[in-house]
Amino acid sequence: MESDRYDVIVVGAGVSGLVTAGAAAHRNLKVALVATGPGSFVTGPGWLKAQDILCASAAPELGEAIAFFCEMARRAGCPYAGDISTAKYLPTLLGDFQSVALAPLLLWNAEPRDGVSTAVIGIRGLSSFDENFMAERLSERARAMSSSGTYAARQISLSRDMGAPVTTLHLAQLFDRDPGFRKELVYALRAAASGFQRIFVPGMLGLASSAEQIAEFKRELLCEVCEIPTLPPSIPGLRVFHRMESYLHQIGVELFRGFPVKEVVIHDGLCTGVRIAAPGHAMNLRGLCVVLATGRHSASPLNGAYAGRDQQMRPLASTGAVMARNLFIAESLPDSGAGNNGDAMRILTGYRAGNLAASTRGNHAA
Amino acid sequence: MEATQVVIIGGGATGAGILWDLSLRGISAILLEQGDIANGATGRCHGLLHSGGRYAVKDPDTARECVAENRIIKAVAPHCVDEVGGIFVKCAQDDPAFFEQWWRAAGEVGIRSHRLSREEARELEPNLAADILGAFTCPDAHVDVFRLVLANLEAAVARGGRFLTYSEVTSILSADGRVRGVRYRNTRSGEEDEISCEVVINAAGGWAQGIAAMAGVDVPVLCDKGTLLVLNHRLNRRVINRCRKSSDADILVPAGPVCILGTSSIRVPSPEGLAASREEVDHLLRLGDELIPGLVNARILRIFCGVRPLYAPMPVEVARGREISRGFALLDHGTRDGVSGFISIVGGKLTTYRLMAAAACDCVAAKLGVDVECTTDKTPLRPAVDRTTHHRAIHVLPHPVAEMMERRLGPETDQVIQAIETRPDLAEVVCECELVTRGELEYVLGGATPAPACTIADVGRRTRLGFGPCQGTFCGYKAMLAGFQTHRWTASEAATEFSAYLHERAKGQAFIHQGKQVEQLDLNYDLYGADRMLCADSGKQDGI
Ligand SMILES: Cc1cc2nc3c(=O)[nH]c(=O)nc-3n(C[C@H](O)[C@H](O)[C@H](O)COP(=O)(O)OP(=O)(O)OC[C@H]3O[C@@H](n4cnc5c(N)ncnc54)[C@H](O)[C@@H]3O)c2cc1C
Repeated sequence: MESDRYDVIVVGAGVSGLVTAGAAAHRNLKVALVATGPGSFVTGPGWLKAQDILCASAAPELGEAIAFFCEMARRAGCPYAGDISTAKYLPTLLGDFQSVALAPLLLWNAEPRDGVSTAVIGIRGLSSFDENFMAERLSERARAMSSSGTYAARQISLSRDMGAPVTTLHLAQLFDRDPGFRKELVYALRAAASGFQRIFVPGMLGLASSAEQIAEFKRELLCEVCEIPTLPPSIPGLRVFHRMESYLHQIGVELFRGFPVKEVVIHDGLCTGVRIAAPGHAMNLRGLCVVLATGRHSASPLNGAYAGRDQQMRPLASTGAVMARNLFIAESLPDSGAGNNGDAMRILTGYRAGNLAASTRGNHAA
Repeated sequence: MEATQVVIIGGGATGAGILWDLSLRGISAILLEQGDIANGATGRCHGLLHSGGRYAVKDPDTARECVAENRIIKAVAPHCVDEVGGIFVKCAQDDPAFFEQWWRAAGEVGIRSHRLSREEARELEPNLAADILGAFTCPDAHVDVFRLVLANLEAAVARGGRFLTYSEVTSILSADGRVRGVRYRNTRSGEEDEISCEVVINAAGGWAQGIAAMAGVDVPVLCDKGTLLVLNHRLNRRVINRCRKSSDADILVPAGPVCILGTSSIRVPSPEGLAASREEVDHLLRLGDELIPGLVNARILRIFCGVRPLYAPMPVEVARGREISRGFALLDHGTRDGVSGFISIVGGKLTTYRLMAAAACDCVAAKLGVDVECTTDKTPLRPAVDRTTHHRAIHVLPHPVAEMMERRLGPETDQVIQAIETRPDLAEVVCECELVTRGELEYVLGGATPAPACTIADVGRRTRLGFGPCQGTFCGYKAMLAGFQTHRWTASEAATEFSAYLHERAKGQAFIHQGKQVEQLDLNYDLYGADRMLCADSGKQDGI
C-alpha cells in the first residue's frame, strides 16, 4: 500500500507552491500538487519588485532560491531577465515606474530610455486599458526622472468581431490559436509603430505560445515590443502560472486542480495526508509530508489552530507546541502580520520547503 | 455675494431633508456641505430604518416616532428602502424578563409584531444559533443612506433648491444680534465666498457644537462612536436584532449584496479622525458569533466608524452614550440665546430625519412669515420611471442591470439609456458587484446630473461602485479611466485621484487581518504597489 503514498503533498499553486513542487520534484520526490485555482501571482505582472527582494535579503540562500526559480521558468518556457542585485524601473498600471529586480522577458525592456520614442498602443474595444492615459502619465513620470524618452499613444483596430468589451484573455487565446490573428496583429502594430523605436502593448501576447513563436512575432514587428501590465486577467502573470504548471506536469508532478483541501490529517504530531473535497466524494491523499502554501490567511486549512511557525517552518499551536513535525508552511511570513512581504519571500520559503521535504524523506528512509 | 432666504449647514440626512421640505414650501435655500453628500454620521451608519423595536422599552417616545416614520419613508421613498423586515431574537444567554417587557412595550407603541418559536425563527433565518429561544417579528427595513440623501437633494433641486458639496462653512456673519449670512471655503480649490440670508440652520450633526460656537452660542453635543463591519455576503434575509437592553454587536442588517454588523458605543472627543481598534473588531465579531455561529470566520470587506451626534443638555460627566435619548432637539437661538435668525437641529436618528426636518422648517417658516404646512410625509421624493424608458432600458441592458439602474437613477435613467443607444460601448458593466454600467459612470461624472461626482469615492456614493468584494481595486481603476476619458481629470490628476481612493478604501480594511479580503489587499500591492501597512495606523475610516 506504500505505492499510493506521495513523498510530499503541496497545497496551493501560487508561486510558493509551484516552487515547492518544483524543488521537491528536482530531488526526485513523488509530488502531488493540490489547488483550488491559480494563486494571486497570476493577477499581477509576474515580476519581482526590488523591495520584495529586500524583504528576503537576510536569507543566505536567497540567491540560490531565485536562481532555481529562474531556471524553472526558463525550462517552462517563460524566461525571466534580471537578478537580485539589479533593479530597473518598469511601468505599472497607473503609469508610474516601479523598481523591479526580475521580470518576465517580455516586460523587461520597458524602462525609461533617453532619446527613445515609444508608442503605447491600445486596442479598440479593450476598455480596461487606455493608451492615452498611459502615454500621458509615462511622459510625465519619465520627465520627472530626467529621462529624455518620449511616449505617444496609438490605437489599432482588429477586424474580427470579438464582442464588447474585449478582454486581454480573449486576445491572448486568439494569439495562441490563430495564426491569422497574429498576422493581422503584426500588420496593425507595424503600421502604428512606424516612426517609433519601441512599442508598448497591453499584456496579451499569448499564454501558451512557444519561445520561437514569440521570437518570430518580434522579428516581424521590426521594432522592439514590450508588454505592460493590465488589470486582471493579467496575461504576463497568468502565462507564468500556466507554463510552470504544465512544466511540473511534464516532470511527473501529479496535479489535483479545482479541489479544495478540507482537512489536514494529523495524528500524534504526525501529518498523514490531506482530505480533499472532490465532487461527489471526499478523497484522501496520503503523504510522508505536507507543505501548505495556501496564502498567509485563514484560508489555510489549519484555520484557528494555527498560531505561528518555528524556524523550520513548522506550524505551532497556541501552546507553542509543533502541530506536526512533517508539516511545513511555505508562505510570505504568515505570522508576522506585517503586510505583504512579496513574491521573493514566497519563492524563498517554497524553495526551503521543497528541500525540507526531501530531507524528511531521507529521515524516513533511514 | 449671493443671497437666499435660508442657508443650511450640513449635507447629511437632516440637512438634505430640510432642503427638500423648504423647497416644497417655496422657501429659497442653499445647503452647504464640507465634504461629499452624507459625509458625516449619515454615510457611516447602519442604514436601519428602525421599526421602533430597539427603543420600545427604553424610550417609548422615540419608538413611536420611529413607528410613524418607518411607514412614511417606505411610502415616499420606496426606491431607497429594501423592505426586508426584521426580528428580535431571544437568546438563551439573555434576560428572559426583558423578552416579555419588550413584547408589552412593542404593543404599546404600536409596532406590528408576532411571536415566533425557535423552529419558526430558524426556518426564516437558518443561520441563527441552534439554541435560541424564539423571536418576535417587526417591520425593520434597510435604507440606502446615500440614495436617500441624494433623493432629497435632487427633489429639492427640481424645485429650485441648491446645494454645494466640498463647501465648508468657516464663519457665521452677524450684525446687531442677527445672523446675516455665512462665509465658506471650497475645500478642493481653496476659494472662499459668502452667502447672505435671513436664517441659518445648523444641521451639522457631530459638528453642530463647533458651528454653534461660530455664532457665539453653545449647543452641547456628545460624539458617540460606533464601529460597523461589512461582511461579504448576506448571512441573513431580515434585520436580526438581539432582544436585550441595547448593547454591542446586536444588530445585523442585510444591505444589498452584503450585511453589516454593529455596533459599539464609545465616547470620543470629536467627529474627526475616527478609527476602530483591533480589539473592538474582535469584540464585535465574537458577539456576532453568538447570534450567528461561524460569523467569526466570515469575510470582512471593510470596517468603518461614525459618530452619533447625541444632544446632551445635562452635565457631560453623567451622560453615557446609549442612555441619552435618541430624541432630537430643535434650538431656536433667537429665544434661547438672543441670536436671531439662527437655529440648530441636533440628535435624533436617521430614521427620524424627516420629522427633524419638518420641525426645523416649521420654525423657519414661522420666522419668515410663510404659511405653508409641511407636506414631505405625503409627497413622493421622485416620480416613477415611465414604461417606455423601462422598455428601452431592458432592450439595451440585461434585465438585472436595467433594474439596478432604474432603482438608482429613477427618471434620470432616460438620459443614460439615450446615451447607451447611441454609444453601445456604454452598456459595459464596469462594477460587477453592484451592476454599474459605463453609461451610469460617465453620467455621474458629467455635468448633466444635479449632483456630479468630484472624486472616485463620490462615484461610489452615487452608484455603489466599489462597495463589493474588490473594494474598488478593479472598478475604481475603470472609474478613474472614465474620469480621464471624459476630460474631468488629466492623466496625473486621475492617477492622484485613484491613489487617494485606494488609500481611503485601504484604511477601511486596515484591521482585517485574516481571510480572503487580505488576499484582495495583497492584490492591490501587486497591481499598484499600494502598501496597506502605510495605512494601517493612519487616520479616520470612511463610510461604506
Ligand atoms: C455607527 C452608527 C450607526 C447608526 N445606525 C443607525 C441606524 O441604523 N438607523 C438610524 O436611524 N440611525 C442610525 N444612526 C444614527 C444616524 O446615523 C444619525 O443620527 C444621522 O445620520 C444624523 O444625520 P445628520 O444629518 O443630523 O448628521 P450628519 O450625517 O453627521 O451630517 C452632518 C453633516 O454636516 C457636515 N458639516 C459639519 N461641519 C460643517 C461645516 N463647517 N460646513 C459644512 N458642512 C459641515 C458634515 O460633513 C456632515 O456631513 C447611527 C449612527 C452611528 C454612528
